[in-house]
Amino acid sequence: MASAVQPRAFFSTGTGFGRVLGGLAQTGLVLWVVSVVSFGFLKLSPGDPVTVMLGSDFSWDSYDKLYHDLGLDLPLPLQYWHWLSRFVQGDWGTSYVSQQDIFEQAVLQALPVTLTLAGLSLLIALVVGIPLGVLAAVRRNSWADLAASAVAIGGNAFPSFYLGVVLIWIFGVTLGWFPTMGFVAPWEDLGQGLWHLALPALTLGAWYVGLIAAVTRSSLLEVLEQPYMDAARARGEPEWRVIWLHGMRNVLMPLVTVIGLQLGGMLRGAVMTEVVFTLPGLGMMITSAVQTREYIVVQAGIMITALLFILVNFLVDQTYSILDPRLRKNGR
Amino acid sequence: MRNNLLSVENFTLRRGAVAVLDDVSLHLPAGQTLALIGESGAGKSTLAFAAMGLLRQPGIGMQGRLMVGDTDVVSAPEKDIRALRGQRMGLIFQDASSALNPCFTVLAHLSEPLRRHRKLGRAACRERAVALLESVGIADPAGRLNAYPHELSGGMQQRVMIAIALACEPELLIADEPTSALDVTIQAQIMTLILDRVRALGASAVFVLHDLALATQVADRAAVMYAGQIVEEGPAAEVLNHPQHPYTRGLRASAIEFGATRLEPIAGVVPPLSAMPGGCRFAPRCPLATSKCTEQRPPRVERGASTLACWHV
Amino acid sequence: MAAELTDAAADSAGRPPNAALRAWRLLSAQRKAMAGGGIVLAFVVMAVFAPWLAPYGPTEQNVMDAMQGPSAAHWAGTDSFGQDILSRVFYGARSALWIGFASVALGMLAGVPLGVLAGLRGGRTEWGIMRLVDGLLAFPELIMAMAFMAVLGLGMGNVVYALALSFVGPFARMVRADVLQVKSRPFVEAARLMGVPERDVILRHVLPNIVSPILIQAGMRVSIAILLGSGLSFLGLGVVPPTPDWGLMIAEGRGFVSMAPWMSGMPGVALAVLLVGLNLLAEGLRDALDPRTRSRH
Repeated sequence: MASAVQPRAFFSTGTGFGRVLGGLAQTGLVLWVVSVVSFGFLKLSPGDPVTVMLGSDFSWDSYDKLYHDLGLDLPLPLQYWHWLSRFVQGDWGTSYVSQQDIFEQAVLQALPVTLTLAGLSLLIALVVGIPLGVLAAVRRNSWADLAASAVAIGGNAFPSFYLGVVLIWIFGVTLGWFPTMGFVAPWEDLGQGLWHLALPALTLGAWYVGLIAAVTRSSLLEVLEQPYMDAARARGEPEWRVIWLHGMRNVLMPLVTVIGLQLGGMLRGAVMTEVVFTLPGLGMMITSAVQTREYIVVQAGIMITALLFILVNFLVDQTYSILDPRLRKNGR
Repeated sequence: MRNNLLSVENFTLRRGAVAVLDDVSLHLPAGQTLALIGESGAGKSTLAFAAMGLLRQPGIGMQGRLMVGDTDVVSAPEKDIRALRGQRMGLIFQDASSALNPCFTVLAHLSEPLRRHRKLGRAACRERAVALLESVGIADPAGRLNAYPHELSGGMQQRVMIAIALACEPELLIADEPTSALDVTIQAQIMTLILDRVRALGASAVFVLHDLALATQVADRAAVMYAGQIVEEGPAAEVLNHPQHPYTRGLRASAIEFGATRLEPIAGVVPPLSAMPGGCRFAPRCPLATSKCTEQRPPRVERGASTLACWHV
Repeated sequence: MAAELTDAAADSAGRPPNAALRAWRLLSAQRKAMAGGGIVLAFVVMAVFAPWLAPYGPTEQNVMDAMQGPSAAHWAGTDSFGQDILSRVFYGARSALWIGFASVALGMLAGVPLGVLAGLRGGRTEWGIMRLVDGLLAFPELIMAMAFMAVLGLGMGNVVYALALSFVGPFARMVRADVLQVKSRPFVEAARLMGVPERDVILRHVLPNIVSPILIQAGMRVSIAILLGSGLSFLGLGVVPPTPDWGLMIAEGRGFVSMAPWMSGMPGVALAVLLVGLNLLAEGLRDALDPRTRSRH
């Protein structure tokens, strides 16, 4: 099959129902590893939670009591189990910096912000990147191809945080077209929300545009050489249909693969972008938590991002069989 | 002759500086079949694709006339040629497994020309698709409609290709080595099928082949190509059984047959197209060649019912 | 005799015995790699010879000249402490390159053996290792590095360790894929069928053929490492001030972007150019050595 990137058989081996079950089992194991790592992180972090909670003035008796109450005298596996059961129920503790329930803070407040930013950026990247890639592939070796390659290399190389500052300088400070910080929820006020998200989404999207354009271009180049393209022309199909229907349909799979693979990069970019533009998303939350040494919040943050990552990868894997009929009955 | 369906006159096709097809001329009357024979790289597939108008691209230069019916593929506007494709001309590809789009079902493939050229609705498309699949010998045609190409065997894929090419009952069918990618046992079936359908439609066909014996069985006329030039053309029986051009003779002699006691290859190898002499391109390997052959293009000479390009016949 | 046979087998697989010479010839024809290599070389020179090239010391403060734009005395301007930005950019190359290469090297130390083990052993070992790796990979690299910095504390050394740890997973996965790919090539099968013992098959056929893909992937990792390192510093979770580091400088400049845009601008340009150079070099190398991804121009 024409693909510039090999599909990630993260969860897909075997056939049919067995495959889904196998996929779930694999996911389960990965989730377990993730939880162990997160728990281990908490246990490894310096600082004594008891002293932090008690403040500066305490007696050894109250120390011992709290130590016991917190379950810190239990064997590690038991502590892990307690932590896990609490976590799964949504009891993630309370942040002493913000005095908020961490679950609320992370999932109900920060997560939507990050998702909105990521979603909008992806949209921008697709809308700009795909046509750019198609143009570069169809008009190979022309100036359009060179321009697209330049955008691809440039967009990939400029770190998100730097690009963010540059955009702030150009559009925020010098031209004054867009606000440079703060978040307004689009579901509360669409206009204001989008206006505030414009620069951040452009920053994050720019990085992805190059990638999407590059993958589209190289995949389409391979597809263009396939006989079924000429076969479609031989049936009398107009060129635009040949490219966009017959061609792009075969490009979808490597494209989705790359988007899924680069999810980590997008989360990284989201972290930086949120800090640059002061958006109260997950990235901002984790960053401040690390700066203030609030390990519980950090732990919640890494758990959420890992879960998100796994979930999206799982979804992406499921779409493989929809996108490529050859994967449907025969597994890998 | 004006009732020719396919009429190629002094057609030259260049890729960059190299003449891939050099002053090619042939004609095919309506209702007859033509075998286009030659070794790999002789330009037969190129000619077939050019006839479909698939080679009108930047980087490719064409001269001369290539008439399909009344349309000159060299100069006609794209939309005229697009109207021909799939409707009055059909193309069968060599490797059906890569000529069928892996993401589309059999029904989707068949519906495309039916919707575009015959403007059929969904139900009508389905009916016609079933009928087409049946006509190419596929069992349980209705059940196959939702199959994807990779779920079909090689032979079935080729049958589907044939069905697609014939969907709108074209007047001219071009088959580019339709059985080369198939097992020997199926080759005969597929060739017979194609001939059957072509005759049933009263259409003309061009078969691009490298197998001489096969050509004798399927074609009314034959044209032999070497390195982009047509060296001999005429009725199939004449050209293939009583060849007059030194190259065709060499081809015939080198064909391996049962009971042969000696192998008689043609000496030398085909030089790259950029290293061709200005005259007859076969000259470097021809036993009858003289210096005139290398320098001057041999004229087209009629010998009996055939036309040859040679100085020495 | 076995040596000749295996060389012949290598030939039939499309790789001439003298891969180095062939690579050099292809490289010179690759403008991409040359351009990238030139850029990277320039930065290495900049880093190594910073004390001689830089007009001022990296932490030399001239408070009188603070927040000046580019001028004859300060080609790239000064920052809020009066430090010369150009000099700090030169010295900043040191931390960037050091972090980049050291973290990748360390990460390879742990990740490559894991990947090789998984790829060669197969079966349960492979499955177990890969699920572990999947778990590690579920944490985006930056997030993982941030978490490690939280535990380890700030500073350049810790940045290197944190990044190295977050690279273990990616390397393990990449190396395993490389091993699997080489394992399935016909010449390995051919060697086995000729009776070459398994240990030799691994040492003489499989391992040498994964060296170049791994090196190329490592090269691409370096640019990611530099990006992440600067990112950590930008977030205040990396190198400590007043160490000259591009990420730190960009962060410092962010607050002054309306008054002194060159504070963020200059180090950012340096960072972007170095990353572009590294990417070009890595892509050029990949195109030169891997015939399958060579562009069809």
